[in-house]
Amino acid sequence: MEIIACQNQVLEVSNLSVIRSGTQVIHDINLSVSCGEFIGIVGPNGGGKSTLLLTILGILKPNTGTIRIFDDEPMSKNVIGKIGWVPQTASNLSSNVQITVRELIQLGTLKNKSYFQIYRKKNRELVEKIIGVVGLEEVANTRLSSLSGGQRQRAAIGKALASEAEIIVMDEPMVGVDRESRNSLLKLLDNLCHEENKTILMVSHDLSTIKQTVHRMVYLEETIRYDGSTSEFPDLSSLAKLRGITSTHNEYSSVKPKSDKDKKSNPITIVLGKGKEGV
Amino acid sequence: MDILEWMFSLSLEFEGKGPGGILLEFLSPILEFLGPMMPGEVFPYFFTMAMFQRALVASLIVSIVAGFLGTFLLVRNLSLIGDGLAHVSFGGVAVGIVLGGFAPLWYALIFSILAAIIIDQMQTRNLLTGDASIAIFLTGTLGLGLVTLRIWGGGITTDVEGYLFGSLLLIDEQSLDLITTISIIALVSIITLYHSLLAISVDPIAARVQGIPVRSIGLYFSIITAAAVVSMVQIVGVLLVTAILVTPSATAQLLAKSFRSCIIWAQIIGISGILLGLYLSAEKNTGSGSMIALVSATIFFLVLISQIILKKFIQPTGNFN
Repeated sequence: MEIIACQNQVLEVSNLSVIRSGTQVIHDINLSVSCGEFIGIVGPNGGGKSTLLLTILGILKPNTGTIRIFDDEPMSKNVIGKIGWVPQTASNLSSNVQITVRELIQLGTLKNKSYFQIYRKKNRELVEKIIGVVGLEEVANTRLSSLSGGQRQRAAIGKALASEAEIIVMDEPMVGVDRESRNSLLKLLDNLCHEENKTILMVSHDLSTIKQTVHRMVYLEETIRYDGSTSEFPDLSSLAKLRGITSTHNEYSSVKPKSDKDKKSNPITIVLGKGKEGV
Repeated sequence: MDILEWMFSLSLEFEGKGPGGILLEFLSPILEFLGPMMPGEVFPYFFTMAMFQRALVASLIVSIVAGFLGTFLLVRNLSLIGDGLAHVSFGGVAVGIVLGGFAPLWYALIFSILAAIIIDQMQTRNLLTGDASIAIFLTGTLGLGLVTLRIWGGGITTDVEGYLFGSLLLIDEQSLDLITTISIIALVSIITLYHSLLAISVDPIAARVQGIPVRSIGLYFSIITAAAVVSMVQIVGVLLVTAILVTPSATAQLLAKSFRSCIIWAQIIGISGILLGLYLSAEKNTGSGSMIALVSATIFFLVLISQIILKKFIQPTGNFN
């Protein structure tokens, strides 16, 4: 793996705790991210992955702790435009939206002070460049609803890139994307880190695929239980053994400990089960 | 200097006229030119007689606004809000009639805008889902209108029926001024906020992260929608507003290849529906609102059926049952 070109710290999460609807979703999280890093965040459903992302974006407020992005608070004047969001577009986009790839990527060029703007020449050039970067030249004028999951996801990434964001936060971008497209999508993200110095935080359930590509893995279940290199990330059988499970089924799923007692005895809670998305 | 003189002569020419009167003054020669080419016995009067010209101009400008608004409402999954706000405006009309107001539409405007603000706030604060809050306002204010009219207003008169089912004869000079003003404000707002509105409709979280004031723009859009709905009430009536607000945009979605083309198709289909509806209602002597609604729905189903046939026999996309 190539050496990351820049090493400046872009994101610092300190002692972060978030309560949603009366339940502590994440507790005492510390995370430091440098420029150009590609971080994969994994963990069971309800483990706090999306909550962490939304708090970093500034959509949710922390109950305790702080988040600093380029030494400023989320949603502050200096941060707006430096962080981009890629949702589960492939599965979430309403079928009522008859929007083309080009139109979607154009929306990324809107800025906080130019939301009245009618499309400018500079933005037009940027949009054309990004359509090339995400490899969608041939379908630029095609409706998103006619595209495959992988192509839609590329378009969503293109929209985040059009905002010229330095940090890209992605929530389950591989959902609804076939295996072949997943690999090319991950290659694209890896290139963005290496060639454009983008920093990427990506939540995913597809453990084995992201392990091959990301620079660093974070395992999150209420709090961070693993944060380190991909090579040292415990494999599924090791994680299963920790819980006394010997199954070799395929999916990394979302069952939480039944009681607090279980939780204490099994700090890492991954349960293996059958599923469509093999690991 | 020439421009100043021209503007001065214009101001003298239009002195005492509202925006509706000025628009009619501009369009009148064009309509009179087109009049003799129009088919039918009664329909050409829409192009030649001042009273009918008002109705035609009001219908067309409202249809243009509806093409924009409807497309955004569909993207935002708010296609029923037009129906809800139209019913709310009926409550306003009823109160206006009972209080003997000079123009019940102004009461409708106040009721509709207030309801739009409250529904928007209930949604953004997660107090109640969109549909439920629309349903409560729809039934509550319709009930208020009917009860008010029954107790104090002499029941359902011809005037009231005009607001329920639409009556182009209700469009006097004052109404045309109000409809024109609302339509111009709505058009300028939507064109100016076009990209931001689309961004907040597609992904509100990404839009907030980009620094777009999602809540303010959403609220402003709701207010504009409320005002536009009131301007449509006289054309097609409270019960049929959806026919010009949503049906052309829904038809356009079947044909469009992009969001921009969806808006253009919505305009073409909306204006065609209005002209055909007015022609048929004039020649067959039926209510204009109901005929426009029927024509709009017929166009939708014709396009839908042709799309199904096209996909099945000409462009097979797969072998799914």
